[in-house]
This record gives sequence, structure tokens and C-alpha cells, in this order.
Amino acid sequence: MPAITPLATFQPPCTARTWLSAPHPHLPIIATACSDRSARVYSLQTFQQQSVISGGHKRSIRSCAWKPNSVGESVLATGSFDASAGIWKRWEENAGRPKEVDFTSGLAGGGAADEEEEDDEWRFAVILDGHESEIKSLAFSPVAPLLATSSRDKSVWIWEELDDDNFETVAVLQDHEGDVKCVAWHPSEALLASGSYDDTIRLWREDLDDWACCSLLKGHKGTVWWVEFEGVGGVQRLGTEGISEEQKKLLAEREETGPRLLSCSEDRSIRIWRRIPKEKSTSASAQAGTPSIWKNRDFEEEWVEETRLPAVHDSAVYAVSWSKKTGRIVSAGSDGRIVVYEERLRSTAKAESNGDTVMSDGENGVSTGVEDRSLTEWVVVADIDNSHDVFEINHVCWAPRADKGRRYEGEEILVSTGDDGEVRAWTFDP
Amino acid sequence: MEVDNKDNANPTILNPSDLPSRRQTKLATDKPAGLFDSLLPVHPLPVDHSSLSSDDEEDREEIDEQEVYDLISSISDPEHPLSLGSLGVITLGDIAIAAPSSPRSRISTVTVLLTPTTSACSLTTVIGLGVKVRLLQALPPRFRVDVRIKEGTSQTADEVNKQLADKERVAAAMENRSLVQVVNTMLATCE
Repeated sequence: MPAITPLATFQPPCTARTWLSAPHPHLPIIATACSDRSARVYSLQTFQQQSVISGGHKRSIRSCAWKPNSVGESVLATGSFDASAGIWKRWEENAGRPKEVDFTSGLAGGGAADEEEEDDEWRFAVILDGHESEIKSLAFSPVAPLLATSSRDKSVWIWEELDDDNFETVAVLQDHEGDVKCVAWHPSEALLASGSYDDTIRLWREDLDDWACCSLLKGHKGTVWWVEFEGVGGVQRLGTEGISEEQKKLLAEREETGPRLLSCSEDRSIRIWRRIPKEKSTSASAQAGTPSIWKNRDFEEEWVEETRLPAVHDSAVYAVSWSKKTGRIVSAGSDGRIVVYEERLRSTAKAESNGDTVMSDGENGVSTGVEDRSLTEWVVVADIDNSHDVFEINHVCWAPRADKGRRYEGEEILVSTGDDGEVRAWTFDP
Repeated sequence: MEVDNKDNANPTILNPSDLPSRRQTKLATDKPAGLFDSLLPVHPLPVDHSSLSSDDEEDREEIDEQEVYDLISSISDPEHPLSLGSLGVITLGDIAIAAPSSPRSRISTVTVLLTPTTSACSLTTVIGLGVKVRLLQALPPRFRVDVRIKEGTSQTADEVNKQLADKERVAAAMENRSLVQVVNTMLATCE
């Protein structure tokens, strides 16, 4: 039986609400955004606090994000209710050789002195001012030197990192009609997703020289609390053995349209959205036609709701995380429940029977949303209740397992962050 | 907040003897009258509830609608030197406690419907915030607090309801000094 099992609570816990924890892109550490105006860095090897980043913000730190692909230096961005974002830096001891850190972890107690030395090495690099009210979320692009921040002021700002801790505002996007609760970058394109208090999700891209909204995703009936893209290569994970022609077609289409988008909401639902591939004829004529006419059609993207995950939460879902390694999704929220889901190809027989409504139209092989939906299904594989006692969970994510108990290369754990000020690690057994 | 221009200069005031109360309150010495006094933090910032979890189990049966009413009816209206109970903003009948939705869950929900004194009360959000904050601070953490405007009583009900249900907005509001001041003044009349 698949199961979620408590592994550890990071020590010491915070005495106030904790909002979010972000695993480092390559080191075995995790940063937690706390309402006591600090960010805490915990070790994923020992589950002990390594350092506290404080003194930079006047109000709660709501969110934090690591810069990906940083070499020799860790870069953490913090977003605060004080309307500013901070950039913090620390030289990495084993710059460029993260494996070494894993190796020393086996020496119990040996790291203590080192950890103390490291304590004050976080340097405050720069503060990003501009938002009018609380910053809710921020994210670095994995493919461009861009940082996105979002705020209660209904805007999304995109900052470009120039040299020497110099960030330049390249866009202020103001299409949302309410707080922008979350932002997330596409893993391989300079495409940004944002979720809002106005119940919608917007996608943003650069159009010639200007950033603009290229898609509006409507469907949620409440605040969108979190959005996240699928990892690259999600298609391969489903496997191709014994699948039907329809399923092969679906996988080919997914390959073409790329990673999907995951969202969760106050409305308790968790939805997956996918891009509709552009018709080849359109792009062909676009090349031949006048760019000014075709520009917008090329720029705009059509995204549709592909499916919803099984509805198992009793109240608002605050966080979802899509494992880049396994394709599994984890969700958590106000009801204190952590749930893991898995996508499976339906057996061919099942897919056919589920396709009945489509077949009855008399047209075989017509690709509709309904038909596509029936080719795969998401199932709950494990869940656990009261995971932070009676408290709400504000965030959950997958993180690489780095403690001594790691059972296999590439094992992932779950990390949940709660109103009780605790960050907890959980193992997941498939 | 514009406290100068009152939205409702002449509100209806209920007679204190008409307000609901628990008859045996005075007799029940084992029911600690000051049960929640010690739980009231002096500051409205996020509270560490972890120390409450042991009391939590014992007090499970003790919290009913009347008790919730007693916690919030004495909150002062930000416009008038009157309590929300005496203004009829809070009534016992509009407080409901829902038990955990499943045997696996330990979370109960307290729902409070507010009746604003006028249909366009600009201070409705602040009143709602005061009620929400009071309950978040006074009730054990196993309670989810749902404060809403009673249907058909306010033009801006949906907007206010959405704000009050948004934990992030409530948390941020409680770090806003001027709002905290208003809420503290409202809650100062609570026992």
C-alpha cells in the first residue's frame, strides 16, 4: 500500500505561522518563509536549522525562491508583506561540487562547527521596491535571467537581473482584477503563469518588446492559490506499452504542446490545463502574410482545462506540487490533509467505454476534450489527515531526500509548511 | 477609516435584557468564566496556539453557540460606543457550529453571519475583521472561523465575504498598524 509516513519535523520550529518552504536547486537545504519576518534555512540532511535570514523585512515574509542555475553562490529571494522583495546571497562552500556535501553528511556531529561558521554568511544584496502593497509570491525563471513578483496591488512585475546585483523592471503587468496570489515560470520557455484573487489564471509572454497576457484561463470558482508547470519530459513517464492509437495520439500531442499547468483554489478543486496546439496552416500563412495582422494570433495561446484531480479536500487547497522526477502531484490546504495523486493511462477497454459519448456522435476518431480526458486518469494513491495537528497547511512540495535514511538514488520526500510554525518532512512509498 | 461620517447615525439599539445569555453562567463555577481571558494575546499578531492543544481535548464539549456569542457580542461597533450584540449585528441565531465533516477530521467550523446596521455600511469589512480576529484568538485552533455577511443585508456582501475568508488578507491586515488599532479598540470592550 502506498503511504505517506512522518519522517521528521525541522528543528527548531518557528513560533509563528510559516508560509512556504522552497528546496534549494542543488544543495540539500530548504528555505522557509516565516511570518516572524525571517526566512529560515534548514538542512535536509539533519532536519536542523542552519541559518536564519532576518533584519531585511518589516513585515511577514510570505514567500521565498531560490535562483536556479546559480554557480558557486546561493541566491535567495524573499517576498514580504512590507511590499518589498529582498535578494540574499551566500558563497557555497563546495562551489560547483554539490555531491561533496552529501558525502560529509554521514559524519554525525562533524558538521556542527561548520554550520555555526556558516551562520552569518548570508549577505543582503539588494532590495526590490515598486509594489504598492504586500508581495504574495515570487519566482525565478529557469531559462532567462528574470524574476517575477506578484502583489495585492493586482500587478505582476518582471525584473531582469543585470550585472552586479542590479535588477531592472522590464514589465508591470496589470491585467488581473484582484490580488495576484502566485506566479510560476514554464520550465523551458519564457512563459509566466499567475493565479489571482479574481479567480483566473493568466499566462504572460514577451511580444516583440512588450510583455503581455497571452492567455486567460477561467474556470476556478474561487481564489487561485497556486500554479505550477509540469516538468519537461512528463510524456515519457506514462510509458508506451500496449497503449491504444488514441493514447499514442494524445501522447504525441502532449509532446508537441509541452508541459501542462497545475492549479489549486479556494474552490477546493485542483485542475490541469493544457495548451491547444496551433494549427499548422495558421503558422504557415503567418509566415507568408503581413506580420502586423498575424502578430496577435501568433502571440495568443489557447489553454483549456484538461482534467480535475479527484475532489478530496474539505476546504481551500493552498498548495500543489508536481514532481519533476515522478510526475506525481501532492496537494494540501486548510483541512490539514496531504494527498498524493498519480496519472495513469486507462486500459484500452476502459478508454473505449468511457468514450461512449463521443462514439455516439457517429464520428470516430474526432479528437475532443472529453475523449482526451478519458485516456488518462488521476488517482489518489496516498493521503494522511491532521498532518499538522489541527492546523492549516500553507504549502507542500517535493524535495530530494538527503538524510542518512535515503533508500535509493533520486528518492523524494514531501515537505509541508503549516500555521503551527512547523515544517515537516514525510516519506512517500509508492 | 472615516469614523467621522457615520453610515448609520441612528441605529436601532436592543435592550440589554433582551440579549441572549446563559442563565446558569453565574452558577456554573466549573465553567471558567475567564476561560479565554488567558488566551487573549495583548497583540493581534499571529498567535502561538501550540500551548493550547492540551486544553483542546478537555474543552471539546464546552464550546457552543452561546459561548461564541459571548465572545463576540461585546465587541464594540467602530462607529458607535455600542456593542455588536446590542446593535443586532450579531445574533445568537446566526451563529452555527459544524462538527468535523468526517470521522477522520478533528476540525470544526464556526459560522457567524453578520447583519450590518445599514445596507451600505462601509465599515462592514472592519466589523467582520474584528469578529474574525476575536474568534481566531479566542477559540482553540481546531476551529475554522467563517465570518460572513447575512444574505440580502449588504450590497457588498460577496466582496466582504471573500476578503474575510482570505487568510492571507486577514494576516496582512493584522500587520497594518492603523487597522490593528481600529480592531484593538473594538475588542477592548471584550471581557
